[in-house]
Amino acid sequence: MLDKDILKEFQDVVGPEFIDDGDVMTNIYAYNWCTEFVNYMEGKEPIPFSSVPKAVILPSTTEEVQKIVQLCNKYKIKFKAQSTGLGPWNQPSTDNSIILDLRRMNKIVKIDEKNLYAVVESYVSGAQLQAEAMKYGLTVHMPGAGPMASPLASHTSMAGPGFTSPQTGHSARNVLGVEWVLPDGNILRLGSLGQKNNPDWFIGDGPGPSLRGIMRGWVGAKSGIGVFTKVGIKLFPYPTDTKFVMTGHAPLYNFEKPDYIRAYVFDCKSWKGLEKIMLRVEEEEVGFIVSHISGLAVMAIFSYSIEGLMDKMALGVLKNPLLVVMGARTKREFDYKQMVMEDILTEYDLENIVDTKYVPEKVFYAECLRANLGYHGFIATGGFQSAKGQADAAALCLRAEKTNIPLKQKYIKKEAIANDFGEGAWMTSYEGGHFFHMESPTMFNQSDLKSVKGMANYMDESNKQDLIKHLGAPFFIEGDKLHDEWGPHMMNYHNWLRKIKAAFDPNGVADSGFYITAKKEGENK
Amino acid sequence: MNDIFQNLVNICGKKNASNNLDILKTYSEDCSFVSGKIPISVVWPKNSKQIEEILKLANSIGFSVIPTSSSSNVRYHGDTLPKKDNTVILNLSKMKNIVSIDRKNRVVMVEPGVTFGELIPKLKEKGLRLLLPLHPESDKSVLTSALKREPITIPRYHWDSSDPLLCTEVVFGTGDLFRTGTAAGPGTIKQQQKRGAAQVNPMGPTHFSPYRVIQGAQGSIGVVTWATVKLELLPTVQKVIHLQSENLQDLLDVQQILLKYRYADEIVILQNLNLACLVKIESTQILELSNSLAKWNLIYVLSGRGKFANDKISYQENDINDLIQELKKDNLNNNSPINEKDILTALKEPTAFPWRSRLKGAYQDIFFITNFERISEFVSIVEKMAQKNLGTYIQALNQGTSYYCEFDLFYDPGDESAIPDIKQNFMDISSKLIEAGAFFNRPYSLWAKEVFANHSEETITALKKVKKIFDPNNILNPGVLCFDD
Repeated sequence: MLDKDILKEFQDVVGPEFIDDGDVMTNIYAYNWCTEFVNYMEGKEPIPFSSVPKAVILPSTTEEVQKIVQLCNKYKIKFKAQSTGLGPWNQPSTDNSIILDLRRMNKIVKIDEKNLYAVVESYVSGAQLQAEAMKYGLTVHMPGAGPMASPLASHTSMAGPGFTSPQTGHSARNVLGVEWVLPDGNILRLGSLGQKNNPDWFIGDGPGPSLRGIMRGWVGAKSGIGVFTKVGIKLFPYPTDTKFVMTGHAPLYNFEKPDYIRAYVFDCKSWKGLEKIMLRVEEEEVGFIVSHISGLAVMAIFSYSIEGLMDKMALGVLKNPLLVVMGARTKREFDYKQMVMEDILTEYDLENIVDTKYVPEKVFYAECLRANLGYHGFIATGGFQSAKGQADAAALCLRAEKTNIPLKQKYIKKEAIANDFGEGAWMTSYEGGHFFHMESPTMFNQSDLKSVKGMANYMDESNKQDLIKHLGAPFFIEGDKLHDEWGPHMMNYHNWLRKIKAAFDPNGVADSGFYITAKKEGENK
Repeated sequence: MNDIFQNLVNICGKKNASNNLDILKTYSEDCSFVSGKIPISVVWPKNSKQIEEILKLANSIGFSVIPTSSSSNVRYHGDTLPKKDNTVILNLSKMKNIVSIDRKNRVVMVEPGVTFGELIPKLKEKGLRLLLPLHPESDKSVLTSALKREPITIPRYHWDSSDPLLCTEVVFGTGDLFRTGTAAGPGTIKQQQKRGAAQVNPMGPTHFSPYRVIQGAQGSIGVVTWATVKLELLPTVQKVIHLQSENLQDLLDVQQILLKYRYADEIVILQNLNLACLVKIESTQILELSNSLAKWNLIYVLSGRGKFANDKISYQENDINDLIQELKKDNLNNNSPINEKDILTALKEPTAFPWRSRLKGAYQDIFFITNFERISEFVSIVEKMAQKNLGTYIQALNQGTSYYCEFDLFYDPGDESAIPDIKQNFMDISSKLIEAGAFFNRPYSLWAKEVFANHSEETITALKKVKKIFDPNNILNPGVLCFDD
């Protein structure tokens, strides 16, 4: 709870109905998906609750956010901002904190059809923005987290790989103008938005160096460098015609498949073959989804229940599967792309199982268009999380995947994580195959202590393996402990990051549990 | 001063340092209207170790360092001219290694001294191409062009405003060596490559992307010693479409459709005089061609590769024609008097004859970024203030989310009496544009003060914090951007 006088000051900012420091609300906000194994990894009790915030506050404007941050500085209270709030990264790392729930900042500020971008507030979801963008024949990049996640969070603060990344890139690279409440309470507007005359959102870089470089990297700061209130993000051509007719009930909706969409799933039969074919498909620029997934994941993306998953064991035998989904706006484009794909299949002697050995439900195509394949990861156990997350060349990603199999099998043998033969993986390309990313989705039972601990230990061992074997930095290297472990092996980046934190957050009020502190608590003492 | 020079000789060797006044004087002037001070020395390091030593020396005994990469004396915009006494020029032109060309991952690793003229033929041999600025000079550094965020001509491959720059090795102003993006590690570059990495992800390490603050910093944050640069595959068939109109908006509308659906590779809009400068060398030929063209010219290139090259071009051409018809712009003149090969040369090759200097021998360029709606307004502002010898170039950027506008004021450098007026005109136009909200995202010397005066205080404060982190003693190119203090 907050001191009464302090509570009153926060109430004066948002109104008494939009702040709650009672036990019920603050404890509810302490819960989040996957918090239990993150707690365990940090040496805490493996429960699905984080530190309980002192209060939850719901601002509705940038000015209110600014005033809240200023009060946090005044009273040395940490803040943790969240938008759609998926996962432990939204949780405070200390009970001397408040949560800024940005759900009232839910407007699509504009869709700029001519300049091919949108401006959104924090709580706009990917699905909401896509539905509006489709009216102009456009779509938005959505992360693997799915269409219910906030594009603002993904673009400014989280990781950014998505199923449509071959044609919509990575969240961090699609950022234009940004409105950003810094940890010291100043409002920074990036790029053309910072101009005094005619500010606008069309570019986020300059004048001179781009401050996007301190805003985020491959992953974001997860509220550790301030609060993002609006962001300009690129829009891309919708892959097919935008007619989207859906009837029926979840999960097996009836979906009217667009005229020009086609899926391919084939077994590349070897790691080398997979690399070669994935690169080739990307060089031809034919797929809006080009994802390597494991045999079990092929079963999962076509399944809508645990029983449905078990029915598809025949698909699980694929050794090195590749999923390609192509879309086209015209018949000419569709014919051309099909011709290219057929040529690749012939050249490499590949067999497309889609519509030959297996006919997907129509809703599968809706999920492709809506970047919603990730949720199938929950079907088997109800809980999953990804290890790895490195991104560079395809060969590195595949090596990381291969190297991970025996490690994962060890934990499967211990019955700590679900049996995916150790092969569970998702790998996508970005920007027409210019770089790749892989992660290892791992299914576990969040309500079983042995499984939670096993998952945490597996993650830890997987991280260490990547470090020792020079397999790139996973995307969950966050928090002081891991930065101190990895920094010395990566040009001492952690020292530079700490300097940025110190310069932009002099009072250390932006919660850095998933970022970095300027100085470790011990050092402060 | 002698101590500094002797120390530089000790680091780089006698042959790679100079305090010859004639040589030093060449670094005090460039093609801009800026006048610089004469540096105290120039040094040509050969590797990052030497650069580290020089920057550490600069921090310890106190001198300024300006990195340059050009082997020629032709430099522009005043950003490499010394603004302070006690300046050493760090000339990186002898760092000329093309470290690796990676066909599989479509990436090249180059040192700063590698020029367009040297690299393009080597890439062609492997079926690769750079993402080029418009007809770059042969002796221009590939790496510097990327560091300056010079616009590239293929908007659909311009995935981020930072493209084509990927990972870098950099020595910060502190003298500390760093590698950005996935090049940071873990492991050395060799160890990473052994695992299959190719330094193709510029983001990171982890929560920050230092390459973004190095880029656009005019050498004031760090000295880049190598970078990986994104490549594309060389097309085997290309078709040039040249549409002409007296109405700029007509062409902007057609271009917008190409951008929206990500059709076409190179897309540029050029006013007649600039297009003529691009494809002709002699001024009489330039004027003759310019007079035969409509005022505005949209050029786009359809490309294909491999056995379906013509099929790809054909479907795209037909789809585009349908869209142009829907727009009711199908009456645009598509009869080009220019040989397709000449246009492709300008778009694909470097040149020994800077195209902007061809008409009069010299030029001053004014460039900024804006949005789709305001392009015509800015053109109109400039045309009112410069009625002759004006060239215009419009380049869609970053997947068509913004537009680079360049206005070239052509003049005869031998006509000294006219130069004060040209300078005044250059400054007046620039001021008018800044006041009207043109975004000068690359604010060089003569613009910097005004650009930052018209930008938010918070941005300036943030930039100064960044500068303080990476170059706390302000040894790197002091006086540029908002780093006056």
